[in-house]
Order: sequence, then C-alpha cells, then structure tokens
Amino acid sequence: MNRLCQSMEPRVMDDDLLKLAVAEQGPREEAGQLAKQEGILFKDVLSLQLDFQNILRIDNLWQFENLRKLQLDNNIIERIEGLENLTHLVWLDLSFNNIETIEGLDTLVNLEDLSLFNNRISKIDSLDALVKLQVLSLGNNQIFNMMNVIYLRRFKDLRTLSLSGNPISEAEDYKMFVCAYLPDLVYLDFRRIDDLTRELAEIKHQYTIDELKHREELTQAQWEEAQAQKEELEAHKAAFIEHLNGSFLFDSMYAEDVEGNKLSFLPGVGELLEAYPFKDKFVIICLNIFEYGLKQQEKRKMEIDTFNECIQEAIQENQEQGKRKIAEFEEKHLLNLSAIRDESEMPVIEMKIVECGEDITQLFNVLMTLEMQLVEQLEETINIFERNIVDLVGLFIENVQSSWCTMAQCRDLESHHHEKLLEISINTLEKIVKGELDEDLPDDVRALFVDKDTIVNAVGASHDIHLLKIDNREDELVTRVNSWCTQLVDKIHTDEIMRNRKRVKEINQYVDHMQNELDNLEFGDILD
Amino acid sequence: TERLSRPEKMPKLLRKEATTLTPELLRDMEQKLSEIKVPIPGDPPHRTDDTIDIANLPPSYKVNTPREEQLLQVADNFSRQYSHLCPDRVPLLLYPLNECEVPKFVSTTIRPTLMPFPELYNWDTCAQFVSDFLTMMPLPDPLKPPTHLYSSTTVLKYQKGNCFDFSTLLCSMLIGSGYDAYCINGYASQDLCLMDLTREVCPLTVKAKEVVHAEEKAPPKKYAIKPPRDMTSRFEQDQEMKRQEEIKTAEEKQLREEEERLMEAEKAAPDPLHGLRVHCWVLVLSGKREVPESFFIDAFTARSYSTQDSHFLGIESLWNHKNYWVNMQDCWNGCKDLVFDLGDPVRWEYLLLGTDKPHLFTTDDEDDGINDDDDDVENLGKEDEEKSFDMPHSWVEQIEISPDAFETRCPNGKKIILYKRAKLEKWAPYLNNNGLVCRLTTYEDLECTNILEIKEWYQNREDMLELRHMNKTTGLNTDYFKPGHPQALRVHSYKSMLPENDRVMEFYQSARVDGLIKREETPKTMTEHFQGRPDFLSYRHINFGPRVKKLPLNSAESNPRPIVKITERFCRNPAKPADEDVAERVFLIADERIQLCYHCRNDHITASKREFLRRTEVDSKGNKIIMTPDMCVSFEVEPMEHTKKLLYQYEAMIKLKSEEKLSRHQAWESELEVLEILKLREEEEEGHVLTISIYDTKRNEKSKEYREAMERVMHEEHLRQMETQLDYLAPFLAQLPPGEKLTRWQAVRLKDECLSDFKQRLIDKANLIQARFEKETQELQKKQQWYQENQVTLTPEDEDLYLSYCSQAMFRIRILEQRLNRHKELAPLKYLALEEKLYKDPRLVELLKVFA
Repeated sequence: MNRLCQSMEPRVMDDDLLKLAVAEQGPREEAGQLAKQEGILFKDVLSLQLDFQNILRIDNLWQFENLRKLQLDNNIIERIEGLENLTHLVWLDLSFNNIETIEGLDTLVNLEDLSLFNNRISKIDSLDALVKLQVLSLGNNQIFNMMNVIYLRRFKDLRTLSLSGNPISEAEDYKMFVCAYLPDLVYLDFRRIDDLTRELAEIKHQYTIDELKHREELTQAQWEEAQAQKEELEAHKAAFIEHLNGSFLFDSMYAEDVEGNKLSFLPGVGELLEAYPFKDKFVIICLNIFEYGLKQQEKRKMEIDTFNECIQEAIQENQEQGKRKIAEFEEKHLLNLSAIRDESEMPVIEMKIVECGEDITQLFNVLMTLEMQLVEQLEETINIFERNIVDLVGLFIENVQSSWCTMAQCRDLESHHHEKLLEISINTLEKIVKGELDEDLPDDVRALFVDKDTIVNAVGASHDIHLLKIDNREDELVTRVNSWCTQLVDKIHTDEIMRNRKRVKEINQYVDHMQNELDNLEFGDILD
Repeated sequence: TERLSRPEKMPKLLRKEATTLTPELLRDMEQKLSEIKVPIPGDPPHRTDDTIDIANLPPSYKVNTPREEQLLQVADNFSRQYSHLCPDRVPLLLYPLNECEVPKFVSTTIRPTLMPFPELYNWDTCAQFVSDFLTMMPLPDPLKPPTHLYSSTTVLKYQKGNCFDFSTLLCSMLIGSGYDAYCINGYASQDLCLMDLTREVCPLTVKAKEVVHAEEKAPPKKYAIKPPRDMTSRFEQDQEMKRQEEIKTAEEKQLREEEERLMEAEKAAPDPLHGLRVHCWVLVLSGKREVPESFFIDAFTARSYSTQDSHFLGIESLWNHKNYWVNMQDCWNGCKDLVFDLGDPVRWEYLLLGTDKPHLFTTDDEDDGINDDDDDVENLGKEDEEKSFDMPHSWVEQIEISPDAFETRCPNGKKIILYKRAKLEKWAPYLNNNGLVCRLTTYEDLECTNILEIKEWYQNREDMLELRHMNKTTGLNTDYFKPGHPQALRVHSYKSMLPENDRVMEFYQSARVDGLIKREETPKTMTEHFQGRPDFLSYRHINFGPRVKKLPLNSAESNPRPIVKITERFCRNPAKPADEDVAERVFLIADERIQLCYHCRNDHITASKREFLRRTEVDSKGNKIIMTPDMCVSFEVEPMEHTKKLLYQYEAMIKLKSEEKLSRHQAWESELEVLEILKLREEEEEGHVLTISIYDTKRNEKSKEYREAMERVMHEEHLRQMETQLDYLAPFLAQLPPGEKLTRWQAVRLKDECLSDFKQRLIDKANLIQARFEKETQELQKKQQWYQENQVTLTPEDEDLYLSYCSQAMFRIRILEQRLNRHKELAPLKYLALEEKLYKDPRLVELLKVFA
C-alpha cells in the first residue's frame, strides 16, 4: 500500500481537501441538507478521517480545536507535527506511515488511544504528556531494546499494548518481560493476558522488578518531599517570612563579607562569640519574627475567609430573591400572554399588551433595585474589610520593624557585635604594633592590620554589609506585604465591579428578551 | 408477741379528728350509704366456688403450717389492737379466705416470680399482660374488701378476678422482676373501680407531641451585610400587632369557653359513693430497677398514675411479700399528701418488726447507696437475733404461664375496651384469618354511634400490610405496609380500588430499580416523584385527555387515555454545565410543542430557555421544511455561537422527539403498573395468606410434617435394630420343654451345645471356602492345560479371552485365599467371644456362675 502511494504525487493538506473530507463525513440526509445550507465550521467538527490520502505533511489542522478523533492512517507522513492545537483529541491513528520518532504529542493531554502501527519507530519516548493513555499500538516498528517497555510503566491507565512485529517481540522472554513490567496490562498483542502467564512472569522477574519498584518509590518519595518543601516555602512566602526560620539571614550576612570572615580569625573573637552567642541570639530573633509572621498570616487568612463567606452569603441571598421575583413574574406573564392570544378584540389586546409591558418594566425596576441595594451593602462591607486588612498589615509591619521581636533588635545586636569586634581589632592592632602578638595570623588578615584606619575601615565595612543585609530583608518584607495588600483590595474591588456589570447585563438581556417577545407578539397580531 | 411490747405508740394513730366529720357521723353515714344498693350494669360473671376444682390443689392451699398459724395469731392480735385503738376505722384486710376456705395472710398470697418471657421484664409490659390476660369482675360488695382472696395460680387458670386478684398477680410479677412493689387496699374513684375507661382518652389516639426545635441562630458574622434600611412606620406596626393580639385573645377565649362547655358535658354525674369504693392497686416505690419516682399502677387498665392522682381517694393499708403496713396518715385530700416512707413508724404502722424497711429516710443520705450494702451485711447477722418473727414462705404454687396462653393473652384471644369516643378491640395473632390483631374505632360523639375513623393493625400478613386507616368522613383509606411487599409498596391511600381515581402510592424507593418514591393520581393526572436516578429525573407529571372512543368491553387491547402534556423535572447534573443541563422539560403533545428550561448557573438569576415547534410544514413549492429559525425560540443567558445553528437545533429536536416517545412509553408503563398493583392488592385482600415463622414449630405445618417424618424414620430404624439382635440361644431353648425353669445341668448342656454348634459352623464355613478355593484352582489348571494344547490353533481373540479369564481366576483365588486366612485367624476369637457372651447371658448367668 505504502509503495503504491509513494509512486503517486504526495498530496498537500489544503483547505479544499479538508473541506471535502468534512463535508463527506458530516451529517446525512435532512441534517446534511441543513449542514450544506449553513456550512460547517472546522472548529465544530469532532471527528475527521483522512486515510489513504497520500499525505506527506500534517498541516492546516489548527482550526479543528474540538476534534476528538483523528485518523491519518495509510499516508506517507514522516513527522508528527501540526497537532499542537488539538488538545481535546482522544483518539489518534497514525498507523501505516513513515514516522521515525515519536514527537509533537506534548499538548495532547487527553489522548487515550494512540496507534503508531507499522512505522519506523525505534525508541519509545516523548509520550510523557499522555497521562490518560489507555491503548497504545506500536506493532510493526523497529523497537529493538527491551528497556523501552520500562518507559511505559508511567502510564497508570494503559491496558492494551501491541508490540508484535518489532525486533524485541522476537526475543524468547518477550511476553514474560512485558507482563512482568506492566502488571496492569490486560491485552498484549490483541490477546488477553491470562492469570497464569502473569503469575509466572511475576515470579520470573521478581527480583529485578522489586528493585525497580524500590527505585521508583525512592524517586517518588524524593519528589514528594521536594514538593512538600516547596509548598512549605510557598506558605512562608505568603506570610512574607520565608527563610527566617533558621540561620539563613545570618549566613547571608557573612556570605559576601570578606573582611568579617577574615576578622573571625582574630584571637579573642572566638571568645567573644562564645561569651555573647551572637549567631544564636540572632537566629532566635529571626525565629521570633518567623512565628509572629505565621500567626499574623493566620489572622489575615481568617479575616479574608470570613469576609468571603459573608459576601458569598449576601450574594446568594440576593440571587435567591431575584430568582423568586423572576419566577413570580414568569408565572403571571405566561398567563397574560395566553390571555392575549385568546383575546380577539383589538383594543383589549392593546391594553393587555401595555399591561404586560408595564409588568416587564416593573420587573426590571425590582431587579435593579435589588442589585443596587446589594451593591451598596457590599460596598460598605468591602470598605470595612479594607480598613481592617490595612490595619492588620500596618500592625504587622510596625511590629516587625520596631518592636520587641524585630529587625531593630537584629540591628542592635549587630551594632553591639560591631563594637566588640572593633575593640578586639584595635587591641590586636596595638598588640601587633607592640609586637606582642604570639599567635600566627593568616597573611591576608595580617594585611588588614597595617594601621588603625585600615582596620577600622575593614570592621566598618563588615558592619555595613551586615546592616545592609538586614535592611534589605526588612525592605523586602515591607514592600511585599504592602503590595499584597494593595493587590488584594484592588482585586476585591474589581471583582465586585465585574459582578455588578455581569448582573446588570444579565437583567438587561432578560428584560430585552421579554420585551422583544412581547413586541413580536404584537407584530404577529397586527399581521393577523 | 412484740406487738404487745410497744402498745404506747398506738394512741398516736388517732388522726381522724382532723376531718370535719366526727367518727359517729361518719359511721352513721356509712351505714346509711351501705344500704343503698348500686345496680351493677349487666350480669357480671360471678365466680362461684363450685366452679373451682379444689380437689387437685396442693396441700399448702388446704392447710396452714404452724408458722402460718402463728402469723395468723399475730395478725389477729394486731387487728384487735388496731380496732381497739382506732375504733372509727374499717377493719383491716389481713387474712381473707382462699379458694379452699382457709384463712391466709395477704402477704403470703404474693408469690414473687420472674416470668420466663423477656417481654415481661418491665413493669409496663407486665401490667399490660395482666390487664389483657384477666377478665375483670367487680367486687361483690363495692364498699368492702372481699372475703376471699384466691391464689394467683387459680386466678390465672380461670382468667378472671377482681381488683385484688389483679393486683396480687401483678405485684408478684413486679417483685419477681426486681421492682419494689406493693399491693394497696384503699379507695378510688368509680371509674377506676369499675374499670370504666369511657371518660379516658384512648392512649392510641393521643398524638405524640411534636418537639419543636428552637433553631439556633448563628451570631452575625463580622462582615455580615447590613439589612436595607427599614422605611416602614414603627407606630403602625405596633398598632397592627396590638390589633392582632386582641383578635387572638378573643379567639382563645372563645375556644376555652367551648372547651369548658364540652368538658362540662362529658363530666359524669357525681358518684353517691365517692370515696367509699374499695379498690386495690399497685404501688411501685422509687429506688430499685432505676425507678426515679414512686408511682401507682392500676392493674385493671395497666395505666400508671402519679401518686398525687385524683383518682385515688385513700389508702387503708399496703403490703408486699414481706410485711404489712397500715396507713396512719390522713386521707382527707385523697392520696395527694401521702408520704410513702414506709420506714416512718408515725406514718406507717407495720405489722412485723425488722423486715426490710426499718430506716427512716434521712435528709443527708449522701452515702446512702454504700451504707445500704453495709447495713445489709450487718443485718444478716442481726436478723436472727432481733427478728422474732419472719414472714412465712408463700403458700401459693409457682405462677406459670404457658407460651400458648402468653401468646393468646386475652381470654379466648379477644378483648374489647371502651374509651372516650373510642373502642379498642384486640385479638391474638393468628386468631383472625386475615391477620387482624387490633382495631381502634374512633367516634364523633360520646354515645359512640357515628364512626369517625377506624384503624386496623395486622400481623404476619404475607402482603406485609401493617396498618389500615379508614377515614369514614372523607372515605379515604390508607394502607401502610412493612418493607417486603412484592411491589415495594409503602403507603397506599385511596378512596376506591378502581383505576384512574384519586390515589397516592408511596414506595420503598431503595427496593425499586426506577427510584420511584411516590405516585399521585387524580382522574386527569398522574404525578411521579423519583430519587437517586442516574438520569437525574426527579418528577414527572402527566396530564391526560378524555378518551377518544370507547372500545368494546371484552377487547383485550388496553385503551390508554391520550396524553396531553408531560412535564419532567431533573436534578442538577454536576457533570454538565448549567446551560446544557435541562431543569424542566415539557412536552405539549397536543400543541406539538416542546419547552425546555435549563438550570440556572450558580452566579445567575435567569436560566436559559428553549421552545421547539415540532410541526412539520410544507413550503410553497411542496418541499418539506426541515428546520427554520422560527421553529426554535430560545433565550440564552450567555448566547453561544454554535447553538444558533440550525443543524444544532435540528439535532436537538430529533433527540427530543425520541425522548418524547420514551416518556410517553414510560407514562403508559406507569399506568399499566398501577393496574397491576391494584390487581395484586385485590388478590392479596382475597387470599390474605398469613406467614408463619420457621421458628414457630407449632404452626408451621411443613416443619411439623418434616419433624414427624423424621420421628417415624427414627422409630422404624429402632425397630429394625431390635429385630437384628437375634437370640442365639433360641433354637436350643426351643428344644427344651417350654415354661420350665432351667436346671443347672440343662444350662450347662445348653451352653455346650450352643458352643459346639458354633464351632461346627465355623469349621463348615472354613471348609466351604476351602472347597471353593480348590475348585477354582482346578478349573484354572484345566484351562491352562487346554491352552498349552491348543496354543497354535488359537485365534488372537481366543487368546485374549483366555488371558482375561486367567487374570480373573487368579484374582478370585487370591481373594478366597485371603478369606480363608482371615477366617482362620478370626474363628478362635469369635468362638471365645460367644463363650463369654453365653456366660453373661441373663438366662444362664445364675446357673453357670459356679463354673465360671
């Protein structure tokens, strides 16, 4: 077949070809007539068959957004491409083509059935996105490495697999191997796997599979752990106190501080640190901030939750009222309409129509009043909430900046440390000058003790770097909290505005429809 | 006796001065009143002594033991002192005569018994049983306690008794099941004494009061929105409220007056003997069996009353199986002020010292429970010394109720009780062949002439009918079924069993595949309610039109009414978007229209709607119009592009058309089902088969037959076994002259003969086996010879035959050889066994003993 097609000129997937196919495969008979009248949009097509068309290149399919089933078998396609837009695809048939590698399927997350039968594929990969895959046909290809099967373990829903006609299927152990490594498989090479085979396979490959499973579990566990850590960090970020539950800040202070690190070799600095555990104290303060931040975060969350709940309740109640009003109106309106239809005298009809029109206007007024009332109520509540949340954030910032468990304390600690360090440094300098220093200092440290200015500068630089780090962290926290707060409030306002607009639009639409209906009736009556 | 040792207490007993009547006046009046004879309505079934068979009664009924005699003396003494000290009081009921005309002390007539039925473990069921089981007989003299008090066994046997019999039996049962119960001899209202319930509301008609749960109002949340400003006038509201209240009070007043008037009408004529009628009832004191508060039980009606109830007008004395107490409190206000602290000697004068109620209730009984136990332990030792006299054991035989009698309950399994505007009839299960066990008829008037409604309770019906409620004013019948009806019917209310009438059927929805809960019918409509269906259908309403033509009556075809309109409602299917999830579907079949109403989206107040005209028309050229835009009118909350297409609308309409067909079919099926159920109900009513539990061995015919068959088989088996035990001595005994006693010589000979005979038999048997063996061997040898001679000429078939013969013969020979060997082994053992058996034979044992 392939050879036969190859002898012909390859066809291009152009608009005409697609239109023809769509029209041929579209609805039949009466529905077909309608379809012809109206024309079918490509994006409404759910299934498309393009077999035996001698197609070389997949193209022009981007319009078929809602396609569920695509058959491209028995062509001369060499690459899988141009399918990126068909995200709803469930069924894809690419059998009897000339495909060499699996590719271009990364967006087809809904794919359940994939056939690549009779191609030139030598390796199974690039299928990671197909999480829902149930049926995979890869027969008559050139897969020669048995390890390809292991790749298929990741598809939890895979039940049917065909690999016959590949080099690997020649292997003596082929069936056992596949059964053992894919225990959830039900059909292999168009045959049901019986329980006995499965058992035998399991026994045969038990050790390797156990090992594999163990490895998989380990990776899974690692992944989960990483995920959990990530989530925790996210949560901390949301509370604006990430990396404050340890010595990160302290470590970062010394990370870029060349002089500070050098100075720590001075005699006496060790004792200083021992006497006043600078790091420990610093970390404790950081932890305090961290905990305070978490608590505040909790508080804010509760505030937001209560607010959302209340707002939702109010909206729900308002909607219920609106629905009731509409139901009442509709009941009356229907009666009126049928009365008008039954009526034969023109003046009475006109009067009734006017009455109906008034009813509609009244409904409009009622609904709009309800909506306006809700808007007012919500606005008030939103304002209260805004005030509260801004206060809460303000309090948080204030406490973090200048109260007991705070950045200010960090700074004090640092200054204290700085003074001590300075003292030690000057002492050391004096000792060096007097030549009393018995200990060996590293050369680069000794280089600092040239004169008083150098050493004071060095210590000062270290202090400055430390303070800068602390300031940066504080600034970051404050800016982020503030921007979060602004964003939140903005979002609430915009949401409310959107909601209001939507509701007004809905009401208008409904009332217009009613009015139209009435007008049409009028019109029809006059025609009669 | 100890009674004499403390006579100084007696004067305290005179308490009657408090009443306004002097003793003389009272006595005078009593005498006068006793002359007034009250005609007892009807002919009360009088139990006369000649109906009681005293011949079979045990001796304890006929004579008194010395201890009982002593007790009677004590009682006599007590009675004399009592009449001396309280001359104005009626003599006590202490030792009435029993059925054998023997005086027995009342306490000994109580026989505490725990019944073997778990149903009789609690006081309410006990009382109900007593009241059901016995037929009430009024006292011979309503103003005096009876002269006779029969044993409970006799009372149970004849199933009738007066209030004393009732109470004694109930008291025995209650004490037996652990209650602190007492018989009371006292005075009660006429209604109680005559077991007249016609002024009581039947307990079955009293509706349980609905408990109104006050809805907890959640505290307003922090961001709860403020309600819109209220613009109405407060003053006007207040005025309106006031006006409403006035109307209400006026109405209430009127209602109250009406009620009072009714009450007045219902009140009975005042009883001339009020306060003098003697009655006996049961008192249950708090404490034991977790009874929180003391109460009375009227044994006639099995009702419990509070001790303050106005029906009870006074107490003379009370007793249990251990002691007897005389009431020393004043009963001018009925029993309302009585204190039932039997340990208080001022209020209750006891007959015997030192039985179980000696303690006064102390106010600070914090460690009462613990101390009680200790006291009991201590008392165990003391009792013997202190107590000079103990109540003798009851003379009454153990009270027994057979399971049969327990099930039948009422005498002859039937009982009728009249209540105020109600009549209650009870039957034993299986007595009525339609399973009826209880019928409550409610009347409109006090004279019980106009029936309001009838409630009938059924049991053990195969169609699971449990209760039938017939309302006579509306003509509405309601049947209630237990789970298990073949059509899963739960409730069926109807006015007539004819189809196409007003009727409501409710179903056990979990037992039905289609999830139907309820089907309501009127002559023109049918409404069905569903639950838990996979297609989310929750409601279907069908309007029928008048029948087009009448079919001949005998035609087999059904003639369904034409359907005008089908309305179907669906629950929200969460898998579909609201715009595609139909909420209501109306098929206007006559108009050829289909209306769809979709569910409302979560954040919307309007829902999409669509209306299809399914008329097929022909255009000017004669072509069929398939679909035009005006055939589908739709309102969409959010207009979508694809729904505007004719193709989409056409497809939707085609689908709806097929669904309409389906709905019509289902409607038709529903109609058929109604017919089927009605037919089934009719058959069930006619057949009224009762189910019999497989554990009911008496009624279950099948199991009875099976059991009898089994017994028969067992019996036959036994007979056969008897036959097989042959007498080995019989042939030898037959040789001897019959009827004569064996002599020793004869016995020895008999034994020897028997043994030698047996020996001969064993030898014969061995010879027989030997002979067969030899014969077989010879034949085989012959055959072999023949084979060797003719070996050349034999055909293969013959050769096969020969070979198979050989193998079979060899097999037979081997078996014979085995048998012979076995016989040789066993023969001596068998011989010895027989010898031993003969030595032990009852006919020979005596004679052979010497030789053994």
